[in-house]
Amino acid sequence: MKRSWIIVVAAILVLAFGLISQYNSLVSLETNVDARWAQVENQLQRRADLIPNLVNTVKGYASHEEQIFTEIAAARSRLLSAASPSAQMEASNSLDMALGRLLAIAENYPQLKADTSFVRLQDELAGTENRIAVERMRYNEAVQEWNRTIRRFPTVLVARLFGKDVRPFFEASAGAQEVPQVQF
Amino acid sequence: MGRALKSFIWLLALMILAASSCFAALPKPIGFVNDFAQVIDQRTRAELNSIAEGLRDNQGIEVAVVTINSAQPDTPKQYATQLFNEWGIGGPEDSGLLILLAVEDREIQVEVGYGLEGVLPDGKVGGILDDAVIPYFAEGDFAKGLLEGTKAFAKALSGESYSRRESRNPDVTGFIIFLIIAIIASLSARRSPSGPGPGGPLGPGGTVRRPPYPRPMPPVFRGPKGGGGGFGGFGGGRSGGGGAGRKF
Repeated sequence: MKRSWIIVVAAILVLAFGLISQYNSLVSLETNVDARWAQVENQLQRRADLIPNLVNTVKGYASHEEQIFTEIAAARSRLLSAASPSAQMEASNSLDMALGRLLAIAENYPQLKADTSFVRLQDELAGTENRIAVERMRYNEAVQEWNRTIRRFPTVLVARLFGKDVRPFFEASAGAQEVPQVQF
Repeated sequence: MGRALKSFIWLLALMILAASSCFAALPKPIGFVNDFAQVIDQRTRAELNSIAEGLRDNQGIEVAVVTINSAQPDTPKQYATQLFNEWGIGGPEDSGLLILLAVEDREIQVEVGYGLEGVLPDGKVGGILDDAVIPYFAEGDFAKGLLEGTKAFAKALSGESYSRRESRNPDVTGFIIFLIIAIIASLSARRSPSGPGPGGPLGPGGTVRRPPYPRPMPPVFRGPKGGGGGFGGFGGGRSGGGGAGRKF
């Protein structure tokens, strides 16, 4: 009688410790995903900060291309007001497309292309795109690890218990695969 | 004793094999100048080396000059970011700079470590490439372009100072720790041949808990010792895609 109690208590203890360690490892993985996303957000913000300067420089040479300027402004403000990661991803991708078109338009203005401040801004933009690509890759790796872990048995039980869910990957938009290149 | 020694040697061989088999696609650093595409002459290489050594010894900045034939299937930029983080260019404050020339891709990429992003913003890097490097590359003089570019970067970085790798001789301490662990492992493996494997039956379900981008360890084995200082491995710096590039 007494011995079976000891066994029950021991089993509960083992389960509890298992639960605690599972939960803790989930917490550290989730923190990692959040930290990676914060890095992505940093770079998205950095790009959003660059855009007014870039647009102003292009306007100096191509003021009549109004349509692209309003398009960029709209995409930028959508990005800045987006609340959830998935809305941010969506807005960021449409900003990518608009920026790609802006740079394509800039190709038609040789004087603009020779402007040193424009070249500088293009370098900053290309560098920011590269940083976004790197941070996006690191975020996606963290998400992959997270999603894999919470689908596995027995972690899946702990994840369900605490309401942990899969996170979305940050897919690049089709037009954004190519980083804008400065070429001479 | 004979058996312990034998199993220890086996363990050592296995560990070295395991360490060398990951990232087989990326080359190992052979110095500050890694002329894999063989476009730098002896004299320029010596000059590049002395600039890089001076930067590391006086300012704690690590510069790597790398030439490759092609970065395929990656873009040169992706290759540069991977190489930078794999080699760990830069000291504890991520004060590293990678100058990568991909000859067949006709592209130069400069990757700036996190710690240098403030002094070398992308626009400035691009400007240096335009002014000091591309004119020579356009004439096909890669060595001169790389040398003038490195000089220009060194000039832009003058006055900056960063902390260096703390331990003066990490190779000795690292190797002793490694030896002790290996000996203990080989002894305990001999004593309990049927013991439970690592982790045990109650382990946390094989969850991997390391962060995806750990700081690379400073290399345990140092390269061939040149006279007076010499190379001796990079300091574990990291980068996140900053910098600029040019096609030519």
